[in-house]
Amino acid sequence: MGLDIRIPLGLLFLATGGIMSVYGFLTRGSAIYEKSLGINLNLGWGLVMFVFGLVMFLVGRRVKWQDDPVTPRPWERKGGKH
Amino acid sequence: MLVYFVFVLGIGFALKRYMRTSHDFFLAGRSIPAWVCGLAFISANLGAQEVIGMGASGAKYGIITSHFYWIGAIPAMVFVGIFMMPFYYGSKARSVPEFLRMRFDEKTRAINAFSFAIMTVFSSGISMYAMALLIETLGLFDGLMPHQYIFHVSVLLSAVIVLGYIFLGGLTSAIYNEVLQFFLIVAGFAPLVWIGLKNVGGWHGIQQKLGPSMTHSWRGMAHANTNPLGVEWIGMVMGLGFVLSFGYWCTDFLVVQRAMAADSEESARRVPLIAAIPKMFFPFLVILPGLIAVSVTSHMAAPTTMSASGVATPQHYKGLIPEKMNLVTGEAVVDSKGQPVYNYDLAIPAMLLHYFPTGVLGLGLTALLASFMSGMAGNVTAFNTVWTYDIYQAYINKKGTDAHYLWMGRMATVGGVALSIGAAYAATSFNNIMDALQLIFSVVKATLFATFLLGMFWKRTTGHGAFAGLLAGTGAALMHHGLTLPLDANPGIHGAWLHLVHVYPSEMAQNFWTAIFAFSVNMLVTVLVSLVTEPRPENELVGLVYSLTPKPVEGHLEWWQKPSTLAFVVLGLLVVLNLVFA
Repeated sequence: MGLDIRIPLGLLFLATGGIMSVYGFLTRGSAIYEKSLGINLNLGWGLVMFVFGLVMFLVGRRVKWQDDPVTPRPWERKGGKH
Repeated sequence: MLVYFVFVLGIGFALKRYMRTSHDFFLAGRSIPAWVCGLAFISANLGAQEVIGMGASGAKYGIITSHFYWIGAIPAMVFVGIFMMPFYYGSKARSVPEFLRMRFDEKTRAINAFSFAIMTVFSSGISMYAMALLIETLGLFDGLMPHQYIFHVSVLLSAVIVLGYIFLGGLTSAIYNEVLQFFLIVAGFAPLVWIGLKNVGGWHGIQQKLGPSMTHSWRGMAHANTNPLGVEWIGMVMGLGFVLSFGYWCTDFLVVQRAMAADSEESARRVPLIAAIPKMFFPFLVILPGLIAVSVTSHMAAPTTMSASGVATPQHYKGLIPEKMNLVTGEAVVDSKGQPVYNYDLAIPAMLLHYFPTGVLGLGLTALLASFMSGMAGNVTAFNTVWTYDIYQAYINKKGTDAHYLWMGRMATVGGVALSIGAAYAATSFNNIMDALQLIFSVVKATLFATFLLGMFWKRTTGHGAFAGLLAGTGAALMHHGLTLPLDANPGIHGAWLHLVHVYPSEMAQNFWTAIFAFSVNMLVTVLVSLVTEPRPENELVGLVYSLTPKPVEGHLEWWQKPSTLAFVVLGLLVVLNLVFA
């Protein structure tokens, strides 16, 4: 297996979270947030996703499955869940 | 903005193409870490019926829907991990039907392979149909193309995307995508639940609004008439918790395939257990939105107390849920008493549109679509494997080269998707036929578990016994369905097409008892026929039957790495959750 799933996963969340944060930042105080009770969900959740993506990406870069003959242990699942 | 997210999802798909390991098309080379398989395991199951259906029943019945998870999935997942996975993985069978051939004989495998292949095609077709219908109803692509094309474009688009990534990367690619989809679903629904709860005043707000029958999962379970599902606890625990859920999680190749792709037997056993943990909390993501949707007051003039049948005040919305519209006449559908019928299926989409501003909305809708696709992809990968190994290789071309079977697998993927499209269109024109088909599937699935249970734990079980049992169980289920009827239904597709003998308080109760009958009859017949037929010599059954298989060696694992430890943790959490919402 050449590719760690966490790298594309991280990239996907980095991109999505990034776009959402930027969009949220540009539309601060806009009327579209009346729907979500005045909370800027784009900015807040976008940042959460961005950070999650970053963690995934970095962890995926560091751990190389092909160099690791042992089966994955539970502690390697960190960040695997929300 | 929305287009952007679809695009991002597309990049996700495109990325996957780098990792095709072509000759590992069907089993992903048995090299995937346990947590990845675990997430794919639930994601494959998290199809259209799951997200839309569970949100809908959350809105209709309340938190009691969580039984489908806490009773109807977790125990079975623990069982398959602890007891059954060693046989599946250890026997080197490449599919569930192939295991049946190793344990029993060719005809048992054939019946399972064919019924399973047909079932997967239809379920992925139904998934596709549901998705296209939803896109059309919500008007997602309204600005992009004329309305009447939306349905066709959605069907084709989803088919092409799923086809693309499975064709290229086989099971590995499907599993990787399912993991992405899992995280997307969580990311899309988590803020929805959070903001929805905030709006209705948290869990206590819901409790005050909806009353105890909607917010307690075990209240009134002693008798069918005192709880919204109309099922008493015996039917619930035996029918749903035992027969149906074990039948699904333990024998359905769609989910078992994911665990079989794991990199070692211990990993394979951990897969369902790892999957069980997020599964346990999924009610909060998919059922809670349904509850919130009916709690929201913005459209309601007066607070309503909901009766068990879900009939509310005569407003045209119940919470956020619109009335069901007849697509042909454009009028609201009313039931036989003149009460409006609510389109509960729209609970989650309505929530998304209500709470999410542009931006997150795109994410939420992407999550919804991701859930449809993961369910569809699961069916397609299961189909291509069963087709190639258990139908094509077994009966059509026994001596092909490996490259030939790989090619066949790709062709089967194309064929499976094409057939699914056909099924999706069949669903548009013949709604009743689809209902009937789904009924037959549930009957077939229910009876299968008895065969496996006996096959794995009783070495005397014979191939003839298993085959006769399967047929008898299916027949018994059909008989039972033909003789009983849920309350308030007319004889016909809902049952009693032979003769009316017994009336159940709800359709769900009828389903559960149908399953119980199918299971019992199958078990009985299998045992009887096995006793009068010749058993197989014991040395042929090593690795296939519990008593003849060496226990998995766990000496090299620390106590906290053993699957059974994980199983206890899972079961403990399950008890706690049930007590909290009892």
